[in-house]
Amino acid sequence: MSAEGEVSKVTEALHELNVQQVIQLPKLGPIDFSISNAVIYMWLSALVVFVFFFIISRRLRKQPDTLQTIGEILLNFATGHLTGQIGEKGKKYYYLILTIFAYIFTMNILGLIPKPEILKPYTPTANINVTFGMAFIVFLVVQFQGFRRHGFRGYLGSWLTPPGVPKALAIPLNLVFFVVHLMGELFKPLSLAIRLFGNTIAGHLVILVMLGLVIEFQSYLIAIPPLAFVLAMNGFEIFVAFIQAYIFALLSVIYIESAIYAGH
Amino acid sequence: MDAETAAKLAAGLGMGLATLGPGLGIGYMTGRTADAIARQPEASGDIRTAMIIGVALAEALALYAFVIAILLAVAS
Repeated sequence: MSAEGEVSKVTEALHELNVQQVIQLPKLGPIDFSISNAVIYMWLSALVVFVFFFIISRRLRKQPDTLQTIGEILLNFATGHLTGQIGEKGKKYYYLILTIFAYIFTMNILGLIPKPEILKPYTPTANINVTFGMAFIVFLVVQFQGFRRHGFRGYLGSWLTPPGVPKALAIPLNLVFFVVHLMGELFKPLSLAIRLFGNTIAGHLVILVMLGLVIEFQSYLIAIPPLAFVLAMNGFEIFVAFIQAYIFALLSVIYIESAIYAGH
Repeated sequence: MDAETAAKLAAGLGMGLATLGPGLGIGYMTGRTADAIARQPEASGDIRTAMIIGVALAEALALYAFVIAILLAVAS
């Protein structure tokens, strides 16, 4: 417990979760285009994903080496296990789904690697703007597919009372069904974004709080159990990084599927 | 009790209470999955996928509370 007004060392360590400006740029109206460490780590993750798949695609051989095998496993995973469940209509979405999966996984793993203060460490997925931006892209794809495949009337019609209900009952029920479906569609991207954000930031906070014990007490005796816990927690966080990327991709597939087969 | 103390108390209590439901749900789901895999090991892949989706949906409830708790503890 530190006294009022004095910034404790634990609070200082929390700077890892703060966005820091690296290059200041002038504001355009309300939008700030300054390059922060979050942006830099997002670019870095995108670069890693791009270079990885670029190298693999340049050196395809009959007898695959380790790198090519990893790439083929990822591609089979995206085309078979993830988008395969949509059926023939969903084959082309593996571009989007594989990119989302690889990008989120890389951002999570890059954020887990301990970095010195000079590199301004940051995990982009621990920022709700990043996760909500990605969820919003999925939302746009889902709604666009729904409207394109069923038409305006057909897609909105699939939100109303299902056929077979008597007319007198269906008309008042339409309002209820429409509102419920609208809320459902709006909460899909919200839950995607908050799930990824919450999981990432909760893991980082638990690690930080445990390391905060070491910083606060400054004793070797107290340091050992938290360090062991942090080591175990880091291993668990690698698992969580994979699971969250997988969940985000899988739920995106399920949402796209529900829009393609709306009304069935 | 002033407003800030009340908000921090609410954040801690709310977070603890909010983990109860999802914790029960995830435990029940995982147990049922173990049952189902023991009954039909050849369908374990599909069952596991269904479990992971269910766990993710249940976990999201605790995470909503977590976001609210952070807002209460930091923003008040």
